[in-house]
Amino acid sequence: MSVHPLQFLEVPRTDPEKESADDRVQHFGEIYGHYDDAVAASQSGRCLSCGNPYCEWQCPVHNYIPNWLRLIEEGKLFEAADLSHQTNSLPEICGRICPQDRLCEGACTLEDGFGAVTIGSIEKYITDEAYAQGWRPDLSHVVDSGKRVAVVGAGPAGLAAADVLARSGIGPVVFDRYPEIGGLLTYGIPPFKLEKDVVLRRREILEGMGIQFQLGTEVGKDLPFAELLADYDAVFLGLGTYQAVQGGFAGEGLNHVHAALPYLIGNVYQVMGVDNPPMPHIDLRGKRVVVLGGGDTAMDCNRTAIRQGAASVTCVYRRDEENMPGSRREVENAREEGVEFLFNCQPLSISGDQHVDGVVVAQTRLGAVGADGRRPAEVVEGTETLLDADVVLIAFGFLPDPPEWLTDHEIDVLPSGRLRVATHGDYAMQTTNPKVFAGGDMVRGSDLVVTAVFEGREAAASIARYLTDR
Amino acid sequence: MPSHWVVETAMEALARLTHRGAVAADGKSGDGCGLLLKFPESFFRSVGESLGFSLNSRFAAGSIFLSQDEAEAAAARQQIEAAIAELDLQVLGWREVPVDASVCGEQALASLPRIEHIFVNAPEGMPRGRFNRRLFLARRRAENRIADATTYVASLSAATISYKAMVMPDALPAFYADLRDARLETSVCVFHQRFSTNTLPEWRLAQPFRFLAHNGEINTIQGNRNWAQTRANNYRSDKLSDIEDLNPIVSLSGSDSSSLDNMLEVLRAGGMDVLQGIRLLVPPAWQSVDDVDPDVRAFYEFYDCHMEPWDGPAGLVLTDARYAVCALDRNGLRPARYIITKDRHLTVASEIGVYDYSDADVEIKGRLGPGEVLAVDLMNGEVLDTGDIDEILKSRAPYKRWLKDGFRYLDSELVDTHTAAEPFDPATLACYQKMFNLSREELTDIVAVLAESEHEAVGSMGDDTPIAVLSSKIRSPFDYFRQQFAQITNPPIDPLRERMFMSLQTNVGRELSLHDIGPEHADQVIMNSPVLSQKKLRQLLSEEFFADAHAFIDLNVDDSMSLAAALDDICRQAEQAVRDGAIIVMLSDRYLVEGKVPVHALLATGAVHHHLIRAGIRCDANIFVETGTARDAHHFACLIGYGATAVYPYLVYQSLHDIAQRGDLDRHQQLGRSYRRGIRKGLFKIMSKMGISSISSYRGAQLFEIVGLNDDVVDRCFRGTVSRIQGIGLEQLANDQLALAADAWQRQTPIQQGGLLKYVHGGEFHCYNPDVVAALQSAVRSGDTADYERYARLVNERPVSTLRDLMEPKALGSPIPLDEVEPKEAILARFDSAGMSLGALSPEAHEALAIAMNRIGARSNSGEGGEDPARYRTERVSKIKQIASGRFGVTAEYLVNAEVIQIKISQGAKPGEGGQLPGHKVNEMIAKLRYAKPGVGLISPPPHHDIYSIEDLAQLIFDIKEVNPDALVSVKLVAEPGVGTVAAGVVKAYADLITISGYDGGTGASPLTSVKYAGSPWELGLSEAHQVLRRHDLRQKVRLQTDGGLKTGLDVIKGALLGAESFGFGTAPMIALGCKYLRICHLNNCATGVATQNEVLRTNHFVGVPDMVVRYFEFVAEETRQIMASLGVRRLDEIIGRVDLVDLGDGETGRQAKLDLTPVLSTAGASDETPRFCTELRNEPFDKGELAAKILDETRDAIIHKQGGKFGFTIRNSDRSIAARLAGEIARHHGNTGMADAPIDIMLRGTAGQSFGVWNVDGLNLHLVGDANDYVGKGMTGGQIVIRPGDNVGFVPNEAAIIGNTCLYGATGGALFAGGTAGQRFAVRNSGATAVVEGVGDHCCEYMTDGVAVVLGETGLNFGAGMTGGFAYVLDISRRFVDRYNHELIDIHRITPESMEANLHHLRSLIMRHHELTESAWAARILEDFRSFLPKFWIVKPKAQDLRSLIQSLRQAA
Ligand SMILES: Cc1cc2nc3c(=O)[nH]c(=O)nc-3n(C[C@H](O)[C@H](O)[C@H](O)COP(=O)(O)OP(=O)(O)OC[C@H]3O[C@@H](n4cnc5c(N)ncnc54)[C@H](O)[C@@H]3O)c2cc1C
Ligand SMILES: Cc1cc2nc3c(=O)[nH]c(=O)nc-3n(C[C@H](O)[C@H](O)[C@H](O)COP(=O)(O)O)c2cc1C
Ligand code: SF4
Ligand code: SF4
Ligand code: F3S
Repeated sequence: MSVHPLQFLEVPRTDPEKESADDRVQHFGEIYGHYDDAVAASQSGRCLSCGNPYCEWQCPVHNYIPNWLRLIEEGKLFEAADLSHQTNSLPEICGRICPQDRLCEGACTLEDGFGAVTIGSIEKYITDEAYAQGWRPDLSHVVDSGKRVAVVGAGPAGLAAADVLARSGIGPVVFDRYPEIGGLLTYGIPPFKLEKDVVLRRREILEGMGIQFQLGTEVGKDLPFAELLADYDAVFLGLGTYQAVQGGFAGEGLNHVHAALPYLIGNVYQVMGVDNPPMPHIDLRGKRVVVLGGGDTAMDCNRTAIRQGAASVTCVYRRDEENMPGSRREVENAREEGVEFLFNCQPLSISGDQHVDGVVVAQTRLGAVGADGRRPAEVVEGTETLLDADVVLIAFGFLPDPPEWLTDHEIDVLPSGRLRVATHGDYAMQTTNPKVFAGGDMVRGSDLVVTAVFEGREAAASIARYLTDR
Repeated sequence: MPSHWVVETAMEALARLTHRGAVAADGKSGDGCGLLLKFPESFFRSVGESLGFSLNSRFAAGSIFLSQDEAEAAAARQQIEAAIAELDLQVLGWREVPVDASVCGEQALASLPRIEHIFVNAPEGMPRGRFNRRLFLARRRAENRIADATTYVASLSAATISYKAMVMPDALPAFYADLRDARLETSVCVFHQRFSTNTLPEWRLAQPFRFLAHNGEINTIQGNRNWAQTRANNYRSDKLSDIEDLNPIVSLSGSDSSSLDNMLEVLRAGGMDVLQGIRLLVPPAWQSVDDVDPDVRAFYEFYDCHMEPWDGPAGLVLTDARYAVCALDRNGLRPARYIITKDRHLTVASEIGVYDYSDADVEIKGRLGPGEVLAVDLMNGEVLDTGDIDEILKSRAPYKRWLKDGFRYLDSELVDTHTAAEPFDPATLACYQKMFNLSREELTDIVAVLAESEHEAVGSMGDDTPIAVLSSKIRSPFDYFRQQFAQITNPPIDPLRERMFMSLQTNVGRELSLHDIGPEHADQVIMNSPVLSQKKLRQLLSEEFFADAHAFIDLNVDDSMSLAAALDDICRQAEQAVRDGAIIVMLSDRYLVEGKVPVHALLATGAVHHHLIRAGIRCDANIFVETGTARDAHHFACLIGYGATAVYPYLVYQSLHDIAQRGDLDRHQQLGRSYRRGIRKGLFKIMSKMGISSISSYRGAQLFEIVGLNDDVVDRCFRGTVSRIQGIGLEQLANDQLALAADAWQRQTPIQQGGLLKYVHGGEFHCYNPDVVAALQSAVRSGDTADYERYARLVNERPVSTLRDLMEPKALGSPIPLDEVEPKEAILARFDSAGMSLGALSPEAHEALAIAMNRIGARSNSGEGGEDPARYRTERVSKIKQIASGRFGVTAEYLVNAEVIQIKISQGAKPGEGGQLPGHKVNEMIAKLRYAKPGVGLISPPPHHDIYSIEDLAQLIFDIKEVNPDALVSVKLVAEPGVGTVAAGVVKAYADLITISGYDGGTGASPLTSVKYAGSPWELGLSEAHQVLRRHDLRQKVRLQTDGGLKTGLDVIKGALLGAESFGFGTAPMIALGCKYLRICHLNNCATGVATQNEVLRTNHFVGVPDMVVRYFEFVAEETRQIMASLGVRRLDEIIGRVDLVDLGDGETGRQAKLDLTPVLSTAGASDETPRFCTELRNEPFDKGELAAKILDETRDAIIHKQGGKFGFTIRNSDRSIAARLAGEIARHHGNTGMADAPIDIMLRGTAGQSFGVWNVDGLNLHLVGDANDYVGKGMTGGQIVIRPGDNVGFVPNEAAIIGNTCLYGATGGALFAGGTAGQRFAVRNSGATAVVEGVGDHCCEYMTDGVAVVLGETGLNFGAGMTGGFAYVLDISRRFVDRYNHELIDIHRITPESMEANLHHLRSLIMRHHELTESAWAARILEDFRSFLPKFWIVKPKAQDLRSLIQSLRQAA
C-alpha cells in the first residue's frame, strides 16, 4: 500500500534535468542529469502499484517495476539494485536508451493524463547510485557447476547471457571482434545517449562476477567456431545485424553518401580518442546534411551531425510523425537541437556527379492498413522536388548477415537471414544445433537493446536447464 | 396440573406461528411440525387397557414411524421388539395411531409412514431412571439394526411422547385424532414447526425430537459430531457402560437439531441432568463477560477443557419429564418471549401473543436474553431462572479450587522481544522461503502488512486467478480449501462489534470423562490463542505436565519415500507417542535437510488427527504444528480446522526478523506480536463467517470445501470434508514439493516474485490480465466487431482457469441462420449490472452504468449504498435496489422506486462478511446518502440483524412485498456446498429471484484472505441450486441468476446450460467504462475515476460514457446469438439447464485431467418434464396479509388525497408488517416526507406481529395498546410509533418486554415510544430515529450513526459497539452500565445541570413526551422526582464527537 495514495496527482512527473539544446550540442556527453535521492523517492512514490502493472507487461524484460519503485520510495537502494538485476542485466543502460515512451512509460497507467512514472530515469538512478555507493552483485552463494559456455558477441544479448550464466554458476567466456565490449552500445549508439564510461563500468561489474572477455577475437576468422563447440559445454551467439539496408535507388554510390553505422562508429572512435581507428572519422562541420530514415539510427545521425557543426541537418521520412518507429523523445530532442524534419517524404534518388548535390524526394500519403498492420506510404505523383545536400547519410536499418560457418554446424538460418530458434518451452532460444543458442538482433532482426537483453537472458536460462538435464 | 388445555393451547399457538414455517410446492405440506408431551400416563393407560394390554405400574409408550410396506414394517417391529426384549423389558403390543391422511399435501403423502404406538412394561420395581435408560439403549440398538429408510423411533420413553407430522400446523389436530381427545392431558407440551434449511424436509426430521425442539441452527455441527465420536469413551459412566451400542454417538447425518438431541440424550443417559447438559452444550459467553461469579465461571471453564460448545442460533425448548427448560444461545440470535399467568402456566414461544389471554392475568411478561435459561422443576413446580440454575451447577463440585490447583495460564503479556531468537542467515532463510513457496509478494503484501498494521491486508476486485487445481503453477495445498460460511440458515456473527462473545482460548491437556470428574480434570495449560510465539512454545514445553510428555515428529522425509508411506509413518509415530504418554504431539517441518522433503503440515495434521481418532486415543493428546507453511489466517484456520491445537509459524518470525533487519518495518520489538494480533483477528473473522464464537468449536470442525483433491487424499487426511469434483492426488502433491525443493537448494535461484494477488509476468495467470483489459477497452471505444472478437478470443481461448473452461457446449441441432435466433433485445433483458454501490463507485460511473442498462432494456443494481432520490423516475435510476446489512438509505421511498429489490446475503469476494467502504471514500455526499458520518469508514455488519434464519428471511421478504407489492424480490447468495438447500428455502420464503455468485466476483474492498479463500466457483453452486430446485419442484417459481467473472457470450451460454436464465456482470462493464483493473479501489485513488470519490480524478480523468457499456453488452449479446446460431438454438430458453449439452473437455495440464465434473452435470433424478426455468411470474406469499389489506382499503383515499385521519383496528401476532403497505402507498404518492402535514393515525389493540411499523414514513402514526414482536420500526424514516400496555395489567410494565428484538434496525428517522422494555439489538444501525424505551437487551445502539435513544432502565451488554454518531441517555439505577457499554468508540458522561442545560431539557422533554404518549407510570415517577433521577443518567456519545458540539446542535434544534 502506498503511503501517499494521491502522490501521482500532487507531485508532477519530473524528468531529470535536461541540458539546454544550445549547450548540449557543444559536446558529445549525455544530456540528462541525475536524480538525487529525494526526487527519485518522490517520483517513485507516484506509482500506483497497479493490479495490472502495464509497465511491467510492456517492458520486454518484464522488470518488477512497481516493486523496485516502492523500494526506492522507501530508500532501499541496494535491495532495489538487486531486484532490478533479477530481470535485467543492463538496467542502467536500458534506463538510458530504451524508448520508454513506447514501452514501460507509454503503457504506464499514469500516462493517461497524469504523466507516466519516470521509470527509465529511476532504473538508471538505481544502478548508477548503488554502484557509486559500492553495491556490487553478490555471487558469493553461487556454486560453480564447473560448466563453461562460450558467448560470441559482447553486445547486449551476449552480455545478458553471460550475466545470467555467471549467476547460475556456469562460467561464461565472451568473445568479440571489437576491442571493447558493448557491441552497438559502444560501436554505434552515440555517447550523448550513452556515455562510454557507463559501458566500461558495466564491464567492471561483469568482470567482478567472474566473466571473462576475449576481445579482438573474431570467431570464424581468428578462432574457428568448431573449436568453441569442442571446448565448451554450450555456445551462445549474439552477433547482431550489420548489413545496412540499401535504399535501392540511383546515386547511392556517390561520394559523400555514407551508411549510418560507419559514420557513427567513426565518430565514437573520435570521441573515445582512439588512435588509428578502424573506422575513419567523417567530419560534417559546415555541411548541409540530409539524413534518410526515421528510426533511432537516423536520429543518432541527425544529432551527431549537429554536434559536429553541420550547417543544416534535414531528416527525410516517408511516413508521418505519428508513424515513426523510433522513440518520440529522441525526435523531440533532435528537433530541439535544430534538426529539420520532412515527413511524408520519400527519397527517389540521390543526385550529383561524383559528389552528392541533392536528394530527389516526393510527397507521400498513407495507404490502407496492410498485412503488417502498418500503413504503407504511397508516392503522390507529380510532387517530386530536389533537396540540396552536401552529404547524405542513409539510415534505413540493418539486415541480418549470418556468417557462413553457421550452416556448417547445423545451425539453420531462415530465409530472412535470422536464425531459427525455439520460441518457447524449456529450451527457448535453442538453435537447430542443440548445443548452440542464440539471441538478440541476429535472431529478431535489428531491434532494441532491451529485447536483445531479454533474449540473451532467456537463452542463458535455457542453457542452464539444458546443461542440468543433459 | 396436567390438562388437555395445555395441549389445545399449544396447538393454537403453533397455528398462530404458521408464518414462521415453510409450505412446500403443493401448498399443503409443511416442513414438519409437532408436539412433545410430558408422558400423558392416564391417557395411555386407558388406551392400552382398552387394547387389552396389562400395563404394569410403570410402563412406556413409543411413537414409531414404520414403512407402508407391510413386510418391511413387520421386520422393523420385530427388530424393535427384540431390542427391547434384550434389555429385559416386556413389549405389550402395538397400537395403530389413528390419523387422517387427507389433510396431508402431495409431498407429505408421498412419504407418509405408518404411525404406531408401542407399549412397553417395566419390570415391577425398576426405577424410572433405569427404565428410561434401557428404553434409550433399546432404541439405539434397534436404530442401528434397522436398515430401511422410513422406520424411525420418534420417541420411546416413559417420560415423553411425541406427535409430529409433515403437515401445516393448523392441520396437526386434524391429522392426529389423539390430540383432539380430551383425555390426553399433560402438564408440559413442547411445540415446534420447522422451516428446514440445512436439510430437506422429511417426516422423521419434523420436530420436536425426543427431548427438545430447536429453533435455529448449530453452526458448529460438523466439529461437534466429530468430537462426539472422538470422545465416545468420555461419555461412559456407571449408568451408561454400553457406550459401544451408541455408535454413532450422535447421528452424523440428518439435521443438526437431531444430533443435538442425541447428544443431550447421551449425557442424560450417562447420569447428567438436563440442566447441566444444556448449559454445557449451549453455554453463555462466560469467557468474555467480566461480571460472572467466579464459581460459575470455574464450572464452565472446567468443562470447557473436555467438551466444546454447540454453537449457533438456538432457541431451545425441552423436557425430560423432570424439568421443562428453555434456553437461548450466547448471542441471543433467536427470539424467546414468555409469559407466566396467574394460574401458573408458563408459555414460551418465538413470539408473544400466541394464544388468547388477558393481560390482566399475566404476572410476568419477559424474554430470554442471550445465554439465559429458564426451567420449571416439574417435581415441585418451582421456576428456576439463569441465576438459580448456575447456582445449582456451580456447587456440585469444588471447580474453582480444582482449577486453581490444576490450571496453568501461559502468560499472555510475555513480550517476545526477539521475533526469532536464532535468526537464519540470509541463504538459509531464502532456502526455507523457497521450500515453502513463500513469494516476495506474499511477504510484503500479506505477512508484512499483518505485522505492521495488526490487520489483514485489504484489496479490491475479485480473485481472477485459476482455482488451484487448474493452475499451471505450484500452489499451496491450502489453496485447495475453500472456507465455508453461513448464509441465511444461520447467521455469521460480528467479529468486530461483538468480539466479546468470541474466544480463542485454547486448552492443552488430556480430555477426560464427563461424568467421573475430579481434580485431575483440571491439569491443563490455558493459552489465550492458538498462535504461538517462540517464547510461549518454549515455556509450554517446559511446563511440568509436558516436559516429558511431548513428542517431536519430523515432517521431513527422504525424498525417495512416497508421500503415502511418509504419512503412514508419521501417523504411526504419532500413535506410538500417544500410547507412550505424550500429551503434545509436535509435527514439525522446522529442520530442513538436503535430500529430504517436508510433508505438508496440513496433510500431516489431518492424517494424524484422523488416525488418532480411529485409534481411539485422539482425546489423550494435542497436536501442535511447527511449520513454515502457515502464514495467513486461512492457513491457521485450516490447520486448526483439521485438529491442530496450536501452530507455531516459525518461518514468518524468521522472515519478519529479516524484514526488520532491512529496516522495512518500524517497531522491531513488536512485530511478532502485531502479526499474531493480525492473525487472531483473521481467525475471529473466519470463525465468525460460520457463526462460531469459540475456537474449541472450530477445531476439528473441517469447515471447508475441498476443490481439486482426489478421494484418496480426502479419505486419508480430511475424511468427511465435502469434496465434489476429485482432482490431484498425493503423487502430484509430492511432485510439487519436490520441484520446490529442487529450487530451494539451488542457492542462486532467487525467491519467487509472486503473482497470485497482482499480475506478474511469468507468474500466475490472471483472467483480467492487461491484454484482456486493453482489448475490451479498445473494443468498446472503437465499436468495431473485430476488436470485440479479439477480446472474446483472448477470454474464450485462455488457458483453462475456471471450471467452465473445461466445458464446451454441444449443438442442439444443426446450425441455423443468425436471423432465426431470438433478437438481441431478448438476450439483453437477461443481463443485470451486478450490485456495485455508490461509494465504491464514483457517482459518474454509477450513473453511467444505470443509464446504459436502462437504455438496453436491462437493469442496473444500486448496490448497497443507497441512491440519490433525484435519480428516481429518471433514466439514471437503478431498477434493482439492494438491501444489505448496513441498510444504507433503505427507506420506503427507496424501495418503492425499484422493480427488483435484492437482499444481499453474501457477495462472492467476501461471503460471510459485510460490505466495506473505507473512510476516505465517505465524503459529504456519500455520507448523506448512507446516513453516516463523513470520513468514518463503514463496515457493514456480517449478518443482517433481522436475518438469523430462513424464517427471518421470509419475514424480510414479506416486509418488502408489503411495502412494494409490485417489486420482485431477489436474494443474492454465494456458491458453497449446500447452497441448493438454501436456495430451496429461499424459494419457500417467497423470493422471486436468486443470484448465485461465484467466489471470483469483484469487490470494492475486502480482506485479501476472504477474496482468495472463501466461496466456491459458481459452476458448482449454480448447478447444485438448479438441481435441488428441480428435484423439489420449485425451479419454476424462481429466476436463477449467476455472476462472478462473466465476460463473454460464451460465458452466458455455459451459464445457461448449467441452469441460469439471467446473468450479472460487475467488473466487465466497469472496465468498459475505463477501469484498468488497478485494484486500488479501496484507496480512493483510482486513476480512472471509476472507483474514487476524489473530485479531480472524477471530473478530469473519468472517461466513461454509457455508450461504452451499451456497446459492451450488445457485443456480448451478439456473440451469444452467434453461438446460439451455431448450436442450432433459437431461444435461450431451449438450453437453460440442459446439462446434457455440456461436453467435458479433458484439461490441459496433468492436474486438470484429474477432475471429475460429472456431479455438476447431474440431473439429480429430475424428469425431463420438470421445468428447467422460471415460468411463474411471481412467488406470492402464503400469508395474504388480510389485516394490512383491510387497513389500506380504509385509508387509501385519505392517502391519495392527503387528507389524514384516524382509524382503529385490532391486531394479533399473525398480522405481520402492519402499516408497511400504507408506508409504501404514501411513499409512492408523496415520497418519504410528503404526508407529514396530513398524518394518518392508526389506532390498534392487541399483539402486533413481527415488523410492526416497518419502513414507516412521515405522516404515518401508529398507536398500539398491547405489545409487539420483533423488528418494530425497522427501517422507519419518519412518523411515530407508540406502543403501550393496556390499563389493567397484571405485570409491572417497565419490567416487562413490550417489543421484541432488533427494533429500529436501520431506521433513518421518525420516533418510537414503547412503554416497556425492548429486546436485543435495539436501534442497531439507527441513523436518525428518536426512541424512548424502558429497558433494552444486549447490543443496543450498535453501529448507530445518528438519532437519539433514551433507555429508562437496564441495558444489556455491549451497548454502543461501533457507534459513530447520534447519542443516547441511559438511566443506570443498578450502576452497572460502566461494565456494559462497549468502550471502543463511545464515552459516557453525567449530565450536569449547570453546563448541560440543553441536554437536560432535551432529555426531560423526551421523557415528558414518552409519558404523554404511553402514559407510562415509570416515566411519571421519573419526572416527578427528576432531580434525584438525573444523577443516575448517563449521556452516551461517540468519542469522536465532542460534548460541546453536541449541545450546540441541540440548542440549534430547539
Ligand atoms: C545507431 C544505433 C542506435 C541505436 N539506438 C538504440 C537505442 O537508442 N535504444 C535501443 O534500445 N536500441 C538501439 N539500437 C539497437 C540496439 O543497439 C541493438 O538492437 C542491440 O545492440 C542488439 O544487440 P546484439 O547483442 O544483438 O547485437 P550487437 O549490439 O550488434 O552486438 C553484436 C556483437 O557481436 C560482435 N560480433 C559479430 N560477429 C562476431 C564474430 N564473428 N566474432 C566475434 N564477435 C562478433 C560484434 O562486434 C558486436 O559487438 C540502436 C542501434 C543503432 C545501430
Ligand atoms: C467495485 C465493486 C463494488 C461492489 N459492491 C457490491 C455491493 O455493494 N453489493 C453486492 O452485493 N455486491 C457488490 N459487488 C459484487 C458484484 O455485485 C458482483 O457480485 C460481482 O462483481 C460479479 O463478479 P464480476 O465482477 O466478476 O462480474 C461489488 C463489486 C465491485 C467490483
Ligand atoms: S528495461 Fe526499458 S522498457 Fe523495461 S523498464 Fe527499463 S526502460 Fe522500461
Ligand atoms: S503502470 Fe505506472 S503506475 Fe502502474 S505500476 Fe507501473 S509504473 Fe506504477
Ligand atoms: S480496479 Fe478499481 S481502482 Fe479503478 S481502475 Fe478499476 S476501479
